[in-house]
Amino acid sequence: MAAIEPMEQFMIQKIVNIPSFTIPGVGVVDMSITNSVFFMLLTAGLITAFFLACAKRQLVPDRMQAMAEMIYGMVDNTLTGGIIGDRGRPYLPFVFSLFMMIAMMNILGLMPGGFTVTSQLAVTATLAVMTFALVLVVGFAKNGLGFFKLFWPSGMHPAMSAFLMVIEMISFLIRPFTLALRLFGNMLGGHVVVYIFGSFVVGLGLFGLSGFGLNTLGLLGSGLSFAMVLALTALDFIIALIQAFVFSALTCVYLNEVLNLDHGH
Amino acid sequence: MADPTPVADAAASHGGGLPQFDLSQWPGQIVWLLMTFLFLYLMFSRVFVPNIGETISEREDRIAGDIAKARRLKDEAEAQAKAAAEEMHAARDRAQKLAADAKAEAKSNAAKQRAEEAGRLAKGFADAEARIAAARDSAMQHVHSIAVETAGAMISKLTGAPASAAEIDAALSRAAPAGQA
Repeated sequence: MAAIEPMEQFMIQKIVNIPSFTIPGVGVVDMSITNSVFFMLLTAGLITAFFLACAKRQLVPDRMQAMAEMIYGMVDNTLTGGIIGDRGRPYLPFVFSLFMMIAMMNILGLMPGGFTVTSQLAVTATLAVMTFALVLVVGFAKNGLGFFKLFWPSGMHPAMSAFLMVIEMISFLIRPFTLALRLFGNMLGGHVVVYIFGSFVVGLGLFGLSGFGLNTLGLLGSGLSFAMVLALTALDFIIALIQAFVFSALTCVYLNEVLNLDHGH
Repeated sequence: MADPTPVADAAASHGGGLPQFDLSQWPGQIVWLLMTFLFLYLMFSRVFVPNIGETISEREDRIAGDIAKARRLKDEAEAQAKAAAEEMHAARDRAQKLAADAKAEAKSNAAKQRAEEAGRLAKGFADAEARIAAARDSAMQHVHSIAVETAGAMISKLTGAPASAAEIDAALSRAAPAGQA
């Protein structure tokens, strides 16, 4: 029986060797194109190709253009426009590219032979820190030191406010971790569970074929596991899009807090 | 279920946990990811978002413009229809007036003609009556003289002696006053 190694699918493998360089104080940066890097490039290439193919600017859109406009409308109306409002318009390209990138990486990971870039903690953490940094930069740029009003709950005793401010700051500071771990965990979990049920299909199937009698029950288990794999794969497609949406929506929520700080929240 | 050795080997090969926690793989992925994201961000901010956004807003403008134009044309058409209806109304009034005038004129003409005709006829009747009366009077004169002659002839035949004209005339006037015979 083959060894069951659900984590093997997340292993980084080199495809093309590119010389590494060293950043002093940080360490060696290996620039080799790995399977992870390859799928990042594929993601960027597919998104670019899709939106270039849709860029026809027709008055009456064809299917491709209508699809691109639908996605644009979703991001514009639901995410930046719906959550932030008019002030969110300048951040539409950021949220749009973030959403498309995560969604495409998640979907590519579900394809046969695909590698899930978003199941790499390095990747989700980088995206989360990038978003967090943007929120900090925008927050201080728009509000100056008034940014700290974000943590000060109004309308209660100052002592209570001071106590809550500590909690608010902690909840603010753990945002990059929750952002990174939510996406990472969903992708990791989905793929591991599908792998395990897939190994049941093979394992129980071989067991069922190995003899008659009670062994035959193994075939039943194999079939049930196969049904589970199908159902979980369908679920993973939904999760792939939902997690991309959740990541972008939370980015918008965080941006909204610092952009509309003067409006109260 | 699994043979323990390969798992142990695999675990040993990536530091005994998830491969994602192998920090030596992080810097390369982070740098590549940032480059990829920067590329995508530039594409979206410079090309895709302006492109699609302008296309959508152009379409919305076009549709709004078309609707406004259609509304304007509809208003114009309605105004024209109203003007045409008013014109029609006025024309009908004029025609009715014209017809009434013509009818009245024809009526008055006819009445005048009838009156003239009646006058002419009345005159004709009067003349004829006068002529008849004259003819009757002259006829009555002749009747008187015929009666005188007849009476003279009868008297001379019966008596053999002619009577004088004055006597016969007086006798006739007693029997039948002139004009009543």
